[in-house]
Amino acid sequence: MLLEYAAIAAFIFVTILVGFIAIILGMLFGPKKSTDVKAMPYESGMNPIGPGTRRMPVRFYLIAVLFILFDIETVFLLPWAIVFRKLGVFGLVEMAVFIAILLVGYIYAWKKGALEWD
Amino acid sequence: MATPAPVAALNLSARFPGSVTADARPGYSGWIVEKGKLLEVTQALRDEFGCDYLSSVTGVDYLPEGKMEVVYQVYKTTGGPGLLVKVQVPRADPVEVPSVVSIYPGAELQEREIWDLFGIQFSGHPDLRRILMWEGFAGHPMRKDWKEAYYEEDGKPFKTRWPEGKHALAESKNPFGDNISYPAGFDPEKWIPEDAEKALYGALARYEVRDEAGLGTDHVIVNMGPQHPSTHGVFRIAVMLDGETVVSLKPVMGYLHRNHEKIGERNTFLMNMPYTDRLDYLSSMSNNFGYALAVEKLMNVRPPERAEYLRVMMAEMTRISNHLMAIGALTNDLGAYFTPMLYALEERELILDIFEAVSGARMMCNYFRFGGVARDLPEGTLQKIKDLFFERLPRRIDEIDRFLTENEIIRARGIGQGVLTAEDAIKYSAAGPLLRASGIPYDVRRAEPYSIYDRFDFEVCVRQNGDIYDRLMIRFDEIRQSLRIIQQAVKQLPEGPVAAVKPAYQVRVPAGEAYGRVEGPKGELGFYVISNGKPSPWRYHVRAPSFINLTAFGPMCTGQKIADVVAVLGSIDIVLGEVDR
Amino acid sequence: MTFASILEWLIKGFVWVMILLGGFAYLTYYERRALARIQVRIGPNRAGPLGLLQPIADAIKLIFKEELMPARADKLLFFLAPIITLTPALVITAVVPFGPEGLNFPLFGRVITWQIADINVGILYIMSIASIAVYGIVLAGWSSNNKYAMLGGLRSTAQMISYELALGLSFVSVIVLADSTRMIDIVEAQKSMWFMVLQPVGMVIFLIATLAEVNRSPFDMPEAEQELAAGYHSEYGGMKFALLFMAEYDKMIAICIIAATIFFGGYREFWFLQNTWFSVDQTPILGPVYVFIKVFILLFGMIWVRATLPRIRYDRLMAFGWKILLPLSLALVFLTATGILLAQEVNPLFMWGIPVVSLAAGFIAILGMYQTLRRKEHARA
Repeated sequence: MLLEYAAIAAFIFVTILVGFIAIILGMLFGPKKSTDVKAMPYESGMNPIGPGTRRMPVRFYLIAVLFILFDIETVFLLPWAIVFRKLGVFGLVEMAVFIAILLVGYIYAWKKGALEWD
Repeated sequence: MATPAPVAALNLSARFPGSVTADARPGYSGWIVEKGKLLEVTQALRDEFGCDYLSSVTGVDYLPEGKMEVVYQVYKTTGGPGLLVKVQVPRADPVEVPSVVSIYPGAELQEREIWDLFGIQFSGHPDLRRILMWEGFAGHPMRKDWKEAYYEEDGKPFKTRWPEGKHALAESKNPFGDNISYPAGFDPEKWIPEDAEKALYGALARYEVRDEAGLGTDHVIVNMGPQHPSTHGVFRIAVMLDGETVVSLKPVMGYLHRNHEKIGERNTFLMNMPYTDRLDYLSSMSNNFGYALAVEKLMNVRPPERAEYLRVMMAEMTRISNHLMAIGALTNDLGAYFTPMLYALEERELILDIFEAVSGARMMCNYFRFGGVARDLPEGTLQKIKDLFFERLPRRIDEIDRFLTENEIIRARGIGQGVLTAEDAIKYSAAGPLLRASGIPYDVRRAEPYSIYDRFDFEVCVRQNGDIYDRLMIRFDEIRQSLRIIQQAVKQLPEGPVAAVKPAYQVRVPAGEAYGRVEGPKGELGFYVISNGKPSPWRYHVRAPSFINLTAFGPMCTGQKIADVVAVLGSIDIVLGEVDR
Repeated sequence: MTFASILEWLIKGFVWVMILLGGFAYLTYYERRALARIQVRIGPNRAGPLGLLQPIADAIKLIFKEELMPARADKLLFFLAPIITLTPALVITAVVPFGPEGLNFPLFGRVITWQIADINVGILYIMSIASIAVYGIVLAGWSSNNKYAMLGGLRSTAQMISYELALGLSFVSVIVLADSTRMIDIVEAQKSMWFMVLQPVGMVIFLIATLAEVNRSPFDMPEAEQELAAGYHSEYGGMKFALLFMAEYDKMIAICIIAATIFFGGYREFWFLQNTWFSVDQTPILGPVYVFIKVFILLFGMIWVRATLPRIRYDRLMAFGWKILLPLSLALVFLTATGILLAQEVNPLFMWGIPVVSLAAGFIAILGMYQTLRRKEHARA
């Protein structure tokens, strides 16, 4: 079975190689006459003011944190999903309790407005 | 229609004795207000006389008299003829007039335009920058003593380009020779323009509100346009964003500016007719209509019956084709990938077929003439019109309507977004579908009927909420009403001549002023024409609905998401040929 | 691990990459033709018969394009981002089986399977690769030193991680149904009944979430042309752009292959064709054909959606993901598990409770959405 992962590694290697070859093809055949105006970041034809990367609204980070919380929930669900037929009703109830606790957090986040984008 | 409606009911000189006098020049009407009293008079106009709608502001340069004039057109949103108020100031720099933005915010962009083109300073204007020319441009091009670089001569029909058959372009003689005059002390070699960007971004930041309690995030100034896929042309929007929320917004225009009005004042009266096609190039027929009305008022002619019917039919067809385009473009702005657009365009093409049949051109129709239309309907066209407007279009409009308006995403993105309240709509001089979607049933066809609109049975469409969805829906309503008008007109179409006067290259237009306004597809389209008896107009001003509707653009977008900016712009329905002129 | 096996992997990988690249090229052609038909147009029909050479012409044009590097861009990341985007889009399909075991054939003494790698945690592999896909996009957006690109990249990240939850949970319900994470087992578990029938709402959630994952309309926020010009790939041109574009379309193909595998029976025939000549048990070579047909139909669905629907606004999209899809898919996992337990312990007929109850849950969710919208409409009047 581990050998199958080696197959995947080989596949990844091939895809990366293809990517590099494509970019190198473009570099070989494309013209290269860069000027200051061409190198200017595109902002609908105007000179951009300020840097392109800057502090972004905190909302994006909030989403990231919430994602981690609920993604871990999914991760915990996975092993249970594989063995729940053996665990039976006990496993189902236990998982329900776990989810219920998380749901409390979910409802709290919702009520606090963490899910609102405005 | 021949003479401007009397405004005796609103006797301004009795209300303001001494400071307001009736305009007594032959062919003129309205009231001349003393400069110092302007704000007081406009305030009274709005609050006491009920003239709450400032339709148009424009400047006139009376070079021989040494005067500059600012002309205000005010109307009541309940209907009826309007009132002309004028302020005259001596023609000595700096020419200064108090700004009426505090009373009529709809004057904001128009006053900027007058400052730009005439150099009349409006004291008290919140953001007086150039608008069509670029910041740092030398001179004010609409002044009569300002000559264009390639200037040839007034009313130049057939003179300069081919003198005695020899081909000599004025352009090849110079751009920087004798033909152009700089102001005293101006050296083009040493000239460094002002930083227009700085002024613009400064104007944006003035509206910035910082939330001191919350976490500070950087406000980003983002330019959308001029090279941007969603701005319907070369139009630029400078937006200040807090994340995705719009803090403030300024439209920047003028990329397509060719000084339509200046060229119009050099052309003869008739030469301007095809030239109006290029304003709102999607609805050339109603542009022709407005201009023809204004000049006919001056000439005091009326077109024959058949021509009137043809005019109305063509104008309403234009409205349908324009609204189809507007619906398609708006759904495109909402992110529908061209499908509704192409469905709408399929129908529009059939209307353009009819334009081609009657005028020979699909878009630049140039169909109207003073006192009539250019030619009669060709053989078989009437049958085509009947087939299209009685059978096919009503069905297809219902179909497109059903596809779009029931769509949950369109409802979700349209309802409650980009709201313009009724008060704001009047305040910002919004016109056309934009005004009517906000609950003001104001339609020039009913408010001050022109041509033969009083004979037709149709309703003024109105929607109450003033959001993007209503502005989409009102276009469907108006298409249906236009279909009704066309159906009635086809049934009543009389036989007879289509022109009251013999076709002539040169028309004699008596001195005087006239304001011809029509309900164009995009809103009230007005032409303010002053003749001094010469072959070309002394003043030729276009009250461009797309341009003036943009006044409300900033306020409508503030607090919305960046994605809605595009949708709001689409729902205003602008054409850059008309915005920039 | 011998030299021969390494060679086999490389050749197999190379062939599959080439198939995916060809698939990408002709997917663009397919999309343009299908869109054009829906929009009363003809679409590309000039290059070659029926315009079939159009993708090749496009590729050649892109190779000869000048590539630009924006000033003050992060040069290394700007260069690497297209590759980082492309790789997960291609490798995500490594665990998908394309044919039954009966189709495996010997070659030079080795048994060639119709799958790059048969690992026992296939679904976990797909989930993890799907999460990696976001890196390329956010790096492309960040390294460009461009506001549109930055905002596009960020939006994309937030959107993808939000919908990943629903995606992951619908994978969980599939695992519950199949009782395995190995892809072949999942396909074989659908022998008598596709999971599409057992868990229709789960399938719909999966398809919606994947539309968001691959940034397709109506969730094409990150590259919302009307707002952000071209989003995270604003600054890319030439072959680098081609790679980003390729990644996007290959993701579409991959997502459709995965959807076909976990909800539509993969290489299995239609369940009512069991025990006939059309069954892959009797005619194994039909396996890849079935996969192709299913992917073709699913891709048409994606194109159809693009031609029909406008774009959802960003805040609505996030609200939809977090407030509707997440609780709904969580509920579905439990409904499925309960149904299976009941069927196992009490009566097999309870199996049919799963689709019924989940459809009811789906309707409740739709009703909730509808109510909120209507309330907004009433509030405005």
